Amino acid sequence: MSAPLSHLDLLEAESIHIFREAAAQFRKPVLMYSIGKDSTVLLHLARKAFFPEKPPFSLLHVDTTWKFREMIAFRDKTARDLGLELIVHTNQDGLARGINPIDHAPSVYTDVMKTAALKQALDMHGFDAAFGGARRDEEASRAKERVFSFRAAGHRWDPRKQRPEMWRLLNGRLGSGETARVFPLSNWTEKDVWRYLAREKLDVVPLYFAAMRPTVERNGQLLVVDDERFKLKPGEHVEARRVRFRTLGCYPLTAAVGSEASDIEGVVAETLAARTSERVGRLIDHDQSGAMEKKKQEGYF
Amino acid sequence: MTALTRINEARSTPLATGSLNGILRVLTCGSVDDGKSTLIGRLLWDASDLFDDQRATLERGRRIDGGHPDYSLLVDGLVAEREQGITIDIAWRYFDTATRRFVVIDSPGHEQYTRNMASGASHADVAIMLVDARAGIKKQTKRHAAILDLVGLKRVVLAVNKMDLAGWSEQRFREIERDFKAIAARFHFDDAVAIPVSAALGDNVARPSDMMDWYRGPTLLSHLESLPSRGAEAAGPFRMPVQTVLRQGVDFRGLAGTVSSGAIHVGDPVVDPVSGRAANVKRIATFDGDLQRAAVGQAIVLQLDADIDMSRGAILAAAEGRPHAARDLDTHLVWLSDTPFDTDNGYLLRTATDLVPVSAMEITSRLDLETLAEHPASTCAANDIVLARISLGRPTALDLFLKAGETGSFMLVDPISGATVAGGVVTELAEAEPKGARKAGVFVLSRDNLECGLCADLGGGAADQVEFRRRANEVALLLSAAGIAVELDLQS
Ligand SMILES: Nc1nc2c(ncn2[C@@H]2O[C@H](COP(=O)(O)OP(=O)(O)O)[C@@H](O)[C@H]2O)c(=O)[nH]1
Repeated sequence: MSAPLSHLDLLEAESIHIFREAAAQFRKPVLMYSIGKDSTVLLHLARKAFFPEKPPFSLLHVDTTWKFREMIAFRDKTARDLGLELIVHTNQDGLARGINPIDHAPSVYTDVMKTAALKQALDMHGFDAAFGGARRDEEASRAKERVFSFRAAGHRWDPRKQRPEMWRLLNGRLGSGETARVFPLSNWTEKDVWRYLAREKLDVVPLYFAAMRPTVERNGQLLVVDDERFKLKPGEHVEARRVRFRTLGCYPLTAAVGSEASDIEGVVAETLAARTSERVGRLIDHDQSGAMEKKKQEGYF
Repeated sequence: MTALTRINEARSTPLATGSLNGILRVLTCGSVDDGKSTLIGRLLWDASDLFDDQRATLERGRRIDGGHPDYSLLVDGLVAEREQGITIDIAWRYFDTATRRFVVIDSPGHEQYTRNMASGASHADVAIMLVDARAGIKKQTKRHAAILDLVGLKRVVLAVNKMDLAGWSEQRFREIERDFKAIAARFHFDDAVAIPVSAALGDNVARPSDMMDWYRGPTLLSHLESLPSRGAEAAGPFRMPVQTVLRQGVDFRGLAGTVSSGAIHVGDPVVDPVSGRAANVKRIATFDGDLQRAAVGQAIVLQLDADIDMSRGAILAAAEGRPHAARDLDTHLVWLSDTPFDTDNGYLLRTATDLVPVSAMEITSRLDLETLAEHPASTCAANDIVLARISLGRPTALDLFLKAGETGSFMLVDPISGATVAGGVVTELAEAEPKGARKAGVFVLSRDNLECGLCADLGGGAADQVEFRRRANEVALLLSAAGIAVELDLQS
């Protein structure tokens, strides 16, 4: 007899199983690569799932043009190193209309530059399934999300039309006009992601580690200034602080936290002792009660 | 210690592993107001690594009775459900104690949500059934037990809640415990215990009660922590449903899948129950290096010492007590769809990794979940649990559910909408009849039929053969939807 599998081993095996099921059942899947730590884990698991082959799908990044520069550099290097095709899509119409996270409400910006952009990209390339790194522990409305989550024509998510899932069985047969989102990390928690990054010694965007960065305090949150597009409000000033990000979204919408953790071990230690859930750092989620659920119904990932 | 664990330990820092002793998935079920949300909230509050903002939300929220926070607020859900004030779906929640990852699967208890409970229970390792100590066992406790048993749960805990309102009475608890044991004995549970608790006050939830010194058993939490983790029990015959074939160069053709039962060593013999062909395991490959042994729950790639031409849909199995190449099955199923069963519809049967057209299906009886009696029936609709006889368009590998759960369960899929309409378990199997002994009036769709026209453009390569099977399945489906009994014979 051997020792039982650790909880990370079990989670890893489950994710690999999900990847293999989806790749076998869908015609043309794509991996939504958003550069963050969850995407890093997702991609690593995809490599494990299809070893010794390469993952049989491309990476898709929906670029709002408001990502931190370090994120873009990391993205390009990752795709190059692994020899995977990277598709970068930006909503050109939104860009032409000048939609941005500074002058527009977070909901409008997210709608145009993320939600609509993702739909465009999926339609344009004919992808019938997209892997995403969403976890059930992230937010209350996600606590009920399926592993295979279906979108009606037009990418609408109807909470009442989601398919029951039983045992380890996954049903990926699509009805007419349907596409699927597949969530191999459904049962992972934020702590698991960090523990796994450390265990597997994976590289992540340096923004996850504490460093002196130019910051502005706004509504009690720390925003990092990445380029000249950041507009100071009256009374605000830029101050260098030692900060890191727990989650990477769009500059300047994602807030940083004060931290001394300058490597992965430090981050794991801080995360295991963390006192606030990670979405506190993402401004869009505070928009309205049930915000995430509304966004999902409109097709936000 | 295996090579795998040694590797894992070597490459992980002590901090990084957090060395959680596996995962336990816990289903909670009870009637409205028995205190299910309070109990889950209390567990999170007392035993877990809850975040400060979550604690603050609770401290700010309304207080109840004794002035304690309303723990049930930790357990919120979809907007529509909040507005209705009732949980109608299943929700997943995660928390860690010092030693273990717990996954709490919350499902509604009402009769009209039997299907939600069945799907929630199918993911669980143990179920906590909740009753109000004042009311005791209700009719629906029996119904819940029947659903848990149907989907294969082996461990149940009865939390006798609100003991504070029942005067912490031992006599009351013992009565309820006795009723519970009598019900549990009718099913296939390995383990059924009752624990007296007060969710609101925390007695016997995570800390022993001062009010019930007559009770010497474990608290709910310590009982849960003592149960074996998911994947810890490698008992049972070896099974690995093949998900896909992975290749490297001309020499490596690996069968990828997750071990669903038992364990396998390099050198062990395995068979494909449908073709009857056998081989030995040459390599167990993973991204992190080869293994000597793999057990239930592990995702691996198996290379065999002989090419027995298996692909997705097949099951690799131990030669001894292998699965059946099944064509006719007796099943128990729970109907999940809002659209009732329709004999003219045509369905697909999804097993672990195969998708097979159903050529004929008949409901024989419906289970009354309160009396557990079977009544003759020919129809079924949402939330019904029925006995059904299913004939498949071609044989596929299946086990009896009680022997190997993962390879003995299935879902029924609507071929047009793709919807999952039912979940089921195999209770009886008839081996596929030998060739030539076919029933009259059944059209046999053979490889020859298909090769000369519809599939004339396909060659013998692996990808083409996958496409060949896909087309064959779809044709069989269309024919059976048009009322023609059809069987597929794809052996060359
Ligand atoms: N006195 C007492 N009240 C409880 C206990 N557990 C739950 N309650 C109360 O019972 C009511 C229903 O509880 P809730 O958790 O919402 O039940 P649910 O519908 O099963 O989720 C609430 O008013 C709770 O405060 C308990 O152990 N003792």
